[in-house]
Amino acid sequence: MAKTYLYNNHIKLGAKMVDFAGWDMPVQYTSIIEEHNNVRNNAGLFDVSHMGEIFVTGSDALNYLQNLVPQDVAKLVDKKALYCQFTKENGGIEDDLFIYKLKNNRYLLVVNASRINADYEWMIKNSGNFDVKIENKSDVYSMVALQGPKAADILDSIGIKKENQPKTMYINEYQLLNEDIFISRTGYTGEDGFEIIIRNEKVSELWELILEKGKPYNIMPIGLGARDTLRLEAAMSLYGNELNENTSPVEAGLSWSIDKDKKQDYIGKNIIMNQLKNGIEKKLIAFKMLDRAIARHEYPIYSNNEEIGHVTSGCIAPFLGQNIGLGYIKADKNLKINDTIQIMIRNKLYNAEITSKNFIQKHNRGN
Amino acid sequence: MTVKDNILCSKSHEYVYQEGENYCIGLTDFAIEQLGDIVFVELPQVGEKYAKGEIFGTIESVKAASEIYMPVSGEVVEINEQLTEKPELLNENEFDKMWLIKVKSEFFDVDSSDLLNYDTYKKEVE
Repeated sequence: MAKTYLYNNHIKLGAKMVDFAGWDMPVQYTSIIEEHNNVRNNAGLFDVSHMGEIFVTGSDALNYLQNLVPQDVAKLVDKKALYCQFTKENGGIEDDLFIYKLKNNRYLLVVNASRINADYEWMIKNSGNFDVKIENKSDVYSMVALQGPKAADILDSIGIKKENQPKTMYINEYQLLNEDIFISRTGYTGEDGFEIIIRNEKVSELWELILEKGKPYNIMPIGLGARDTLRLEAAMSLYGNELNENTSPVEAGLSWSIDKDKKQDYIGKNIIMNQLKNGIEKKLIAFKMLDRAIARHEYPIYSNNEEIGHVTSGCIAPFLGQNIGLGYIKADKNLKINDTIQIMIRNKLYNAEITSKNFIQKHNRGN
Repeated sequence: MTVKDNILCSKSHEYVYQEGENYCIGLTDFAIEQLGDIVFVELPQVGEKYAKGEIFGTIESVKAASEIYMPVSGEVVEINEQLTEKPELLNENEFDKMWLIKVKSEFFDVDSSDLLNYDTYKKEVE
């Protein structure tokens, strides 16, 4: 199994380690619920070094990226971040990712750990005659996420002063620990926070520094267990659960991210535009359990005694104190927010209510 | 945690020990530790009968749902109702509060022959 450069730090902190996409990662240090609530109330530090960093440069970099995603990459000003999906010919999602525009027409793509190799092959395969250089630097860089309402204070106290910190959905380059690092104000928790990209050799030092300077702010290291409950409580999709190669961004409830007026062609455009215009067969919903039970990945969803879909993610939402989930249902059932559905759990049906995807209101958002 | 001297454990991490005429069944401290925060426990009804190896309940942590198997056959005579209301009590690791059900068991000696004493169990799992 692959180890991140923070492996020894996790062991020293007494983390419980698990296999995640071939990586030996911390699932929790103390308790998932405690870690989850600490990110909502204070701050948490995550090792997300398993994620991939791919750089795109060259005179055709923009046109090349425009062909890969339904978002309009041209609207990116320097230092701006954009949430995107690589779409396939069938409209399905090859991966979801962030594209950051750096200085001098360089683009940084941050992709899911489980998709690094597939994405890189996809990018090479679709590079055609474009004048681009595609560099997979995932083995060079590590990444940590500092998230929570105290994240900006903690970043300030390690030397990145508040007035110099990136604004929400921006990235900037800094010098820290005698290194060139990237800090973006993005995350996967529904909180204000940062993601910091640094060379492997320096990440352990950075990790220790943040935990030390974060002590007055009650920072905690956070495992993948709470990373999952935090993203689900913020109704954010996870590749492999909500997103996959046979599900389009429209079906996945990501239409908000698509630039409908984008002029350029991109892979899967016909199908996606058609879905936007004429509708879809399945759609992603959010729900909360009304009965005392927890919905889990793959459990069937029912309405009027008919199976109409399945759960993609479900858990107890520690901050809300409710059991929540996401799932796909047939779109033609015309079910809407506040309607009751049932989840089949161990051969029994339990009531749930369709809710908006704002499980938590945009909580503690940065500036 | 202090455990009873006479407890026997299954390889699927249930324990059983005799208490008067009945047998107490629960999950080992190792299992609870592995599961992490317990958020839901589903137990059978009093009067239900289960064979050794049958699923009699479910325990859910934040991450996943796990089934619980009968370490011996028997008829349920009492359930720990406190746990269905407050499943997090299991994480407090107090042995006396961790039992799930009590059963009447006619064939305990036969059923328990492949169960491990606590020390042997601990060595096997660690």
